[in-house]
Amino acid sequence: MDRECVSLLPRVCEVLAASGSSLPDDTSLEKLLDWFTEVTKAGTSLLESCPCLLEFISSVVHNTTLDPSILSFTLRLSGLVAVTEDAFTVLQQSSVLDLVFNLQHWQEAGLWEDPCIRIGWIQGLRTMMQHPKALGFFVQADFLKPLLQLQTDKSLFVASAANQMLAHVLLSCQSVSSVESNGVDEEGEDVGRSSGSIADLEYPAITVETNQDYAAVVTAISECLKKSLVPRKNSQLHQSLQILKLLALLLAQTRAPLWEKLLQMVADSVYELLAAGYSQLVLPLMDVILAAHSCDANRRVTDQRVSRLLSFMLNIRKPADLIQAAAAFLRRGRHDLVHTAQSARVLLLPLDIITGLNLLTTTADEQQFSMVEQLKNKTSCISMICVCLTNTPQITLTAADCLPCPPVLIVTAVLSLLRLCSGDFSSSSSSSSSCRDVSRNIIGSSKVQKCALEALIALSGSPGVEVKLPEVVTLLVQYLDNPHSDPTVLHKSYQALVRWMSVCSDLSSITDQHRQDLLQVATKRSCDIRWEVRDSTVEFLGRLAGVSVVQTTAEEVSDASVALLGGCCFTTPLLRAALQDPESYVRASAISALAQTLAASWQQGAALTQEHTEIVNQLLEVLSRDTEGFARRAVVRYFIAWLSSRSSHSSPPPLASSSLLMPSVRSVLSRGSADLDWEVKVHTLELAELLLHEAFSGQRGYMKGNPTQTHPYAVIPDTLHTRTHNEEDVVGELNSLVQWGVVSALLSGLVDCDRPVALRACRLLMTLREVVCPLSLGALDATAAMAMVAKVTCELPGCGWAREIRKMLATKAKDAERGCSVGEVVDCDDCGEAGQEAASGGGQTPCVSVCEVLRSLDLDERLDVLTRSSDHVHNSPFSLLQDILTASSAHSQPDTQQEVIVDCY
Amino acid sequence: MKLYCLSGHPTLPCNVLKFKSTTIMLDCGLDTTSVLNFLPLPLVHSPRLSKLPGWVSKDGTINLEKRELLDLSTIDVILISNYHCMMALPYITEHTGFTGTVYATEPTLQIGRLLMEEVVNFMERVPKAQSATCWKNKEIQRMLPGPLKDAVDVWTWKRCYSMQEVNSALSKVQLVGYSQKVELFGAVQVSPLSSGYSLGSSNWIIQSHHEKVSYVSGSSLLTTHPQPMDQSSLKNSDVLILTGLTQMPTANPDGMLGEFCSNLAMTIRAGGNVLVPCYSSGVIYDLLECLYQFIESASLGTTPFYFISPVANSSLEFSQIFAEWLCHNKQTKVYLPEPPFPHAELIQTNKLKHYPSIHGDFSSEFRQPCVVFTGHPSLRFGDVVHFMELWGKSSLNTIIFTEPDFSYLDALAPYQPLAMKCVYCPIDTRLNFHQVSKLLKEVQPLHVVCPEQYTQPPLTQSHRSDLMLELQPPPMPYRRCSVLNLPFRRRYERVYILPELANSLVPSEIKPGVSVATVSAVVHSKDNKHTLQSVPKPPPVAPSKKRKRVMDEPPVVMTPKPLLSGAVPLEAFLATLQKHGITEVKVEETADGHILHLQAEDTLIQLEEDGTHIVCDNNEPLRTTLRDLVLRFLQKL
Repeated sequence: MDRECVSLLPRVCEVLAASGSSLPDDTSLEKLLDWFTEVTKAGTSLLESCPCLLEFISSVVHNTTLDPSILSFTLRLSGLVAVTEDAFTVLQQSSVLDLVFNLQHWQEAGLWEDPCIRIGWIQGLRTMMQHPKALGFFVQADFLKPLLQLQTDKSLFVASAANQMLAHVLLSCQSVSSVESNGVDEEGEDVGRSSGSIADLEYPAITVETNQDYAAVVTAISECLKKSLVPRKNSQLHQSLQILKLLALLLAQTRAPLWEKLLQMVADSVYELLAAGYSQLVLPLMDVILAAHSCDANRRVTDQRVSRLLSFMLNIRKPADLIQAAAAFLRRGRHDLVHTAQSARVLLLPLDIITGLNLLTTTADEQQFSMVEQLKNKTSCISMICVCLTNTPQITLTAADCLPCPPVLIVTAVLSLLRLCSGDFSSSSSSSSSCRDVSRNIIGSSKVQKCALEALIALSGSPGVEVKLPEVVTLLVQYLDNPHSDPTVLHKSYQALVRWMSVCSDLSSITDQHRQDLLQVATKRSCDIRWEVRDSTVEFLGRLAGVSVVQTTAEEVSDASVALLGGCCFTTPLLRAALQDPESYVRASAISALAQTLAASWQQGAALTQEHTEIVNQLLEVLSRDTEGFARRAVVRYFIAWLSSRSSHSSPPPLASSSLLMPSVRSVLSRGSADLDWEVKVHTLELAELLLHEAFSGQRGYMKGNPTQTHPYAVIPDTLHTRTHNEEDVVGELNSLVQWGVVSALLSGLVDCDRPVALRACRLLMTLREVVCPLSLGALDATAAMAMVAKVTCELPGCGWAREIRKMLATKAKDAERGCSVGEVVDCDDCGEAGQEAASGGGQTPCVSVCEVLRSLDLDERLDVLTRSSDHVHNSPFSLLQDILTASSAHSQPDTQQEVIVDCY
Repeated sequence: MKLYCLSGHPTLPCNVLKFKSTTIMLDCGLDTTSVLNFLPLPLVHSPRLSKLPGWVSKDGTINLEKRELLDLSTIDVILISNYHCMMALPYITEHTGFTGTVYATEPTLQIGRLLMEEVVNFMERVPKAQSATCWKNKEIQRMLPGPLKDAVDVWTWKRCYSMQEVNSALSKVQLVGYSQKVELFGAVQVSPLSSGYSLGSSNWIIQSHHEKVSYVSGSSLLTTHPQPMDQSSLKNSDVLILTGLTQMPTANPDGMLGEFCSNLAMTIRAGGNVLVPCYSSGVIYDLLECLYQFIESASLGTTPFYFISPVANSSLEFSQIFAEWLCHNKQTKVYLPEPPFPHAELIQTNKLKHYPSIHGDFSSEFRQPCVVFTGHPSLRFGDVVHFMELWGKSSLNTIIFTEPDFSYLDALAPYQPLAMKCVYCPIDTRLNFHQVSKLLKEVQPLHVVCPEQYTQPPLTQSHRSDLMLELQPPPMPYRRCSVLNLPFRRRYERVYILPELANSLVPSEIKPGVSVATVSAVVHSKDNKHTLQSVPKPPPVAPSKKRKRVMDEPPVVMTPKPLLSGAVPLEAFLATLQKHGITEVKVEETADGHILHLQAEDTLIQLEEDGTHIVCDNNEPLRTTLRDLVLRFLQKL
């Protein structure tokens, strides 16, 4: 703990004990408690390091006139202090503990009515209960009864905390008894134990007497659970709900003897509750059963009671509840085969009914009948179908022998459902009028459409469904063409199309008609009146370009965009038109889609076209003109993609592409680093990083990524050392970096007011420094070895960021008081066109040595400052304590009082 | 009450309601689909069209859906619901001996006039040297080729009316405003309600004192330009006649509008022209409004929009001045003051230009690619014919159908083979089945009458049970030429009592809150108003020496027997009987009252709720005594 803080703490305690009204804001107490918790977790004993706390607690507890929030804070603090056995003993000896947690004390003071006292009491106890002594204290004081009462407290928070606490108590008891009874715990098999369980603690001396106490606690709690599980009135459903939550918590965490006991106690009540058929309780009940079941599964022996409950659950009468239960079961993952098969059947039943496809060979007539009746109601029909569809992926994940039908048939059913949704009954094979009544409920429901499309996406990976590709494509194109499709439905249709393309890479079954329809529809949707649709379309065009497929005609691998839409010649004009879109999201998507579309040609090193030149000009225009950040960010990312595709390419970069790329990168760097949007600037720095990497990868000292983050013992791959250190190389590369504007971009980033930008720039500059003029070389060495490098200069114009840099250099120079020539104007014969232009223009543009700048800017110190979060000062405990003191002094001296406005957010 | 159904076309209704001695025609829509049987009327001679095989250019005639179901001259009034449903007006008012009045709102009249003018103009500017009618003969028609042979009721097809007939017909129109009450011969009151479909479109309430009939025709719940639909006034109707639902139940107007815009943008971007065959009023206002917002986002800022119609100017101008008939949003603009429709701005900025025809100014300013709005949607006459000839050969161009009245494939038939792209996005804002069932749930009429097409799913989509009206009790369907007896009887009639007669009445209370008086009077009925007047006293016979004239006997004034009310209390009656020496009475309880058996006298007295019978053979004195005893317990009026 900070010494400064410790020194302030007594005074803070005084303030708090005196009055609670003068706190700077209502979060201070929480913050204080957080800090104490942190300190305790770090292994420091609170009582030892701050003895004043004991005094504080005892004084506050006696003063019931204090603000309830302070009292609640004290309750919780006491629990925290007493978390170690030693401190607990001290507190108990000073008889503080008895009073703090004495219910009667609070009730008599009339404070128990305040929920914050109640929750303080629960949480204090909960924190404290980490050792047997505390448990003993809990048992002896007979806190169980009030705790059980608090379960149904008016305040939801109190009730929930009481729930947690009860679970904690039971689990504590379990550990204690198991230590006692088993002596040696079967560590190997103990899988179900949660990591937070306190069974790891050692309990050396447990008497038989205490053990009896614990057994009594366990019995009392389970009795209570059993008793209050089944509601006597409808209004008591809330209570049952709470108990079920607790039970689920317990069954998932407890182990053999206790688990057995709990289950034995509650099984009948749960059964009774099930039979009562409360729809609101279906999911919580399922949670309980599944918690028991999954715990059971670990033991690899199926408990008959659990299995019976589960079977009952999967046979409830109410169709809506039944579907909920089946879905909950499948979502849980680990299952047994019988119940999985049953759940799958339940979930497929509505699909079977609506589509009339024989998914399930046999179904109980009664079940079918009640399901049909339920489906005739529009609202419940839609919600039930949606639950079924959302869970179809789970169904297909199950073993094939559990499935009532092959996945292909499920795909067929989903497709058929989608057709029904758009009002197409031609393919529907259901003829009965009741089925028709049901299917009319889903006509035009975009909710069902969305769920069905999601199911279709998920089903794409199932075995044997590839044969459905032509049908899927036809349907999706119809959906895309349908004027009444909701934008989100269109979006999902696009996603599904891309997904099926990427999974079924063999497109031989796609006909020319499909292609033509898709072309038509994509063109139309790119002119849609809703921007969301245009955006999805443009995005789709990009995504499709990223999917590689095989066209069987020549066994040739190409991207799906080429295979389906004829590639760039179709997509590029559409995307270029989208660059003019009034909606910035669409423009941004168009730019990234262009990058994806052109990526292939970059990688193949195709010759540069006139069109590409125009696109680049257009993009540069966007970067400098566009009013929205999204589009500008996308432009920078476009160049990053282009540049990285070039550098990832193994053969030497094709000239044609470079001739356009490098000049444009130069303008991207200069425009991007002057952007107002910090994300654009960060992306620009990423571009700069790529260039750095390209220039220096393999150079001594160059480490890709953040130098401070690399592990000191990390093995550096040999390939990085293949290029030998060559001074001339370095000079050449550095010169070109200066010319491309990388160095200026980095320097301007360094002084940027946005921290992420400055941080990134700082790290990159440090990387650069390591390569160009490592600090590890002495100044003399450096001058000797790197005389050439030192001559490389860059410009520092007299305005903006450069002025900042110059100021920093000047301060540094003054501080150092050395006769070094930092900041001195260097004659620049070779500092590039821009410099000469500036010189000829009359205004002298001073040039400085890059090396000198890198060495003189205190990059390490700056990195240190930047890494800290901007509010590190305000968030420190010291500042918190000071705030509390200041607020109280302001409060006590009203004449000098200033209004302290604290914004918590 | 009877309903005569003269039209089988659900959106172009023509019904006649006979209600309380009035004969009311509800709309007179003109089904013009028969024009599709004719060749297009080009402005310039088209060698291609004239050489089409099996087609012979004939006189421009128009179908008229009428049968001799009833004598049209007996019609008292015609109520018009919107300007599309009045196109047959000249046929009815001019050649049938019609002498009544036509009621319509002002926009309906003005825009209806424009539409008629447009049709007449389209027809008259390509005059026919000769006209032929012999082919209407059934024998000859049989020999005609192809679809013509199968055309039904060819003999009812009529020549297009002239401007003179239009003017004469429209002169019979009397203007009404929403909720204005118009008395028809004192028998019924009719009043128009906003129906939300088009400018000035209305539903009608026809009511007497005790009956209410609602006529719902062409209504819309969408928020387009017209004033929203008045639903609450339709409540408590005995009969609701429902016509003019959407013709495109599966095409939602929003989706179609989106489709329209994206196809338009797509064509323009590819360098093609867009042709929109449409009526010169109605949906075009919404299309222009939608485009106004879309132009910027689709970067169509420089593309010219042309609206060509003989009445283009008037239509655009009229829409701006009927502020009181517009939706609230547009009405408020007028107070700013701003034009309610944004097409004013399009015109100002020269993005939208309108011309009366393709001659003159238009030809000098015509620039491609462009968007042209022009009529007629049937593609058989009007300037659209010219553009079809001009643009049909290029696949860059697109024709977008927005009016649902004509089958677009039939409309395009004489222009095939066609290279130009064709897009069908019918925009019909009228009520769909979902909306209508909600509406009916709200207004709860006792009976619904509708065309039979609405009671079953469309033929092409027989599974779509959501595309029909499902009501409890089921609606009464009608088809062309059917005569329906509307299922309610007249039970009550309002009668007035003159003050002096009322003064003479002496009401007596028979049970709390109910008083009764007898009255003798003469009913005087005039103009469907009934008045009770006191019976005139017989004029004193003048002591005249003149020759005694034969005078009508004055009605013999007979004092009517007093009316009885009340009930005979059993106990008290028995006591009275005993007083009169009748002791042996056996009382038997029946469903309606009691039977008293006077055993000694061998007489029965049946006391029932609404009558007392004394059965007593051959003992008149006893009967009279018993009668008087019964009468003692009853009140006399």
